[in-house]
Amino acid sequence: MIHGQIRSFDAQASDEPTATISAAVNGNVAAFERLYRQYAPRIYGLCLRLTGQREAAEDCTQEAFVAAWRAIGGFERRSLFSSWLHRIAVHTVLSRRRGLRNQYEVAEPKSGLPDHPDPAGGAPPLDLEKAIAALPDGARHVLVLVGIYGHSHADAAASLGIAEGTCKAQLHRARQLLAASLQLEES
Amino acid sequence: MMERPHNSLDRLLDELPREATPQRNLWPGIAAAIGNKPRRSRSWFMAVASAAAAACLATLFTWAFLQRNSVPRVIQAATAQGAFDEPRDPKFVLARNSLEKTYTERLALLKPETRAKIQASLAEIRKAHEDIRQALIADPQSVALEQMLQSTWHDEFDLYESVVQATQPPLSRI
Repeated sequence: MIHGQIRSFDAQASDEPTATISAAVNGNVAAFERLYRQYAPRIYGLCLRLTGQREAAEDCTQEAFVAAWRAIGGFERRSLFSSWLHRIAVHTVLSRRRGLRNQYEVAEPKSGLPDHPDPAGGAPPLDLEKAIAALPDGARHVLVLVGIYGHSHADAAASLGIAEGTCKAQLHRARQLLAASLQLEES
Repeated sequence: MMERPHNSLDRLLDELPREATPQRNLWPGIAAAIGNKPRRSRSWFMAVASAAAAACLATLFTWAFLQRNSVPRVIQAATAQGAFDEPRDPKFVLARNSLEKTYTERLALLKPETRAKIQASLAEIRKAHEDIRQALIADPQSVALEQMLQSTWHDEFDLYESVVQATQPPLSRI
C-alpha cells in the first residue's frame, strides 16, 4: 500500500494545474471553477468517509471550496494545492462536527453510508465501507487520512490536532477493529 | 479468527475508490457564496503576516538583548518546544503557565530599561496574537492563520524561556 501511496502522491504532483491555480490565486472565478471540477470528487470522497453521511459530506465539500476561495490569495505553493485543499476540507469537517456534536451523537452513524459507494469505483466491498463508517471517530479519521488517502502521520496529526503518537495508535486500533469486523487476519 | 488469504486489509483499502460524486450539483451554491463574499485581500493578509513577523522580531530582539548582557548561559533541562504538538495541549499550557510565573518573578531582577524592552516585546507578541485571533474569527477556515496563531504562542514561550535562562540563579547552574 505504501508504494501505491507514493505513486499516487507523485502522480498528484505532476497533475497539479499550475496555470489554473495561478489564475485562481489572482481572483479568476472561472479558473477556480475548473479547480473545483478537478478536485471536487476527491474532496467529496474524503468528506464522505470522514463524516459517513452523504448530505453532511456535500455540505462540507461546499464549505471547503468556499473557504478555499477566501484563502486562496494566501496560497504560496509551499505544499501541493491538493494537500492544501485536503487540509481545508479536514478542518471544515472537524469544525462542523464540533458545531453539530449533539446532532451527530443522536444520529444513526451509518445512516448516510452510500448504498453504492462510488459510481466510478466498480464494486468496492460494501462491508468494508460499513465497517469503516462504524469505527469510532478518532480511529476512522486517522484511517481515512493515513490508510486511504495516503497522508503522512505528521500531516494527519497536524490536521486532526492530535499528537503523532496518538495518530499511529489510532491507525493501529482502526486496523485491528476492521480486521476483527471483517474477520481478516491482521498482522 | 478466520483468514481470507486473498483479501488482506491492505488490499481491500487499496481497492477503495478515493473519489466519489455528490448527488447534487454543488457548484451553484459555491458560486453564489463566493460571489457574495469577497475573497480575503492580499493586503489584509499581509497586514496580519506583518503582525506575526513583528512578534518574531520582538522575540529575537529580546533574545539578542539578553545575550549581549553577557549573563552566562546555562544548560537547562527544559522541555523542548517541539515536544508539544499543539499549543492548546494541556501539557503546553501547564508548562507555559509555570514558565510565565517564573518569568514574572525573574523580570524584577533585571534593570528597569531591560525590563521595559522585554515587556514591550511581550506586548507586541500579544497584540499580534490578538490580531490574528480576530482574523481567525472572521475566517475560521484559514490554515495559514491558525499556524500563525500557534507561532505567537511559541514566540511568547520563547521569550519567557530567554528571560528565565538569562536570570538563572548561580547556585542552580551546571
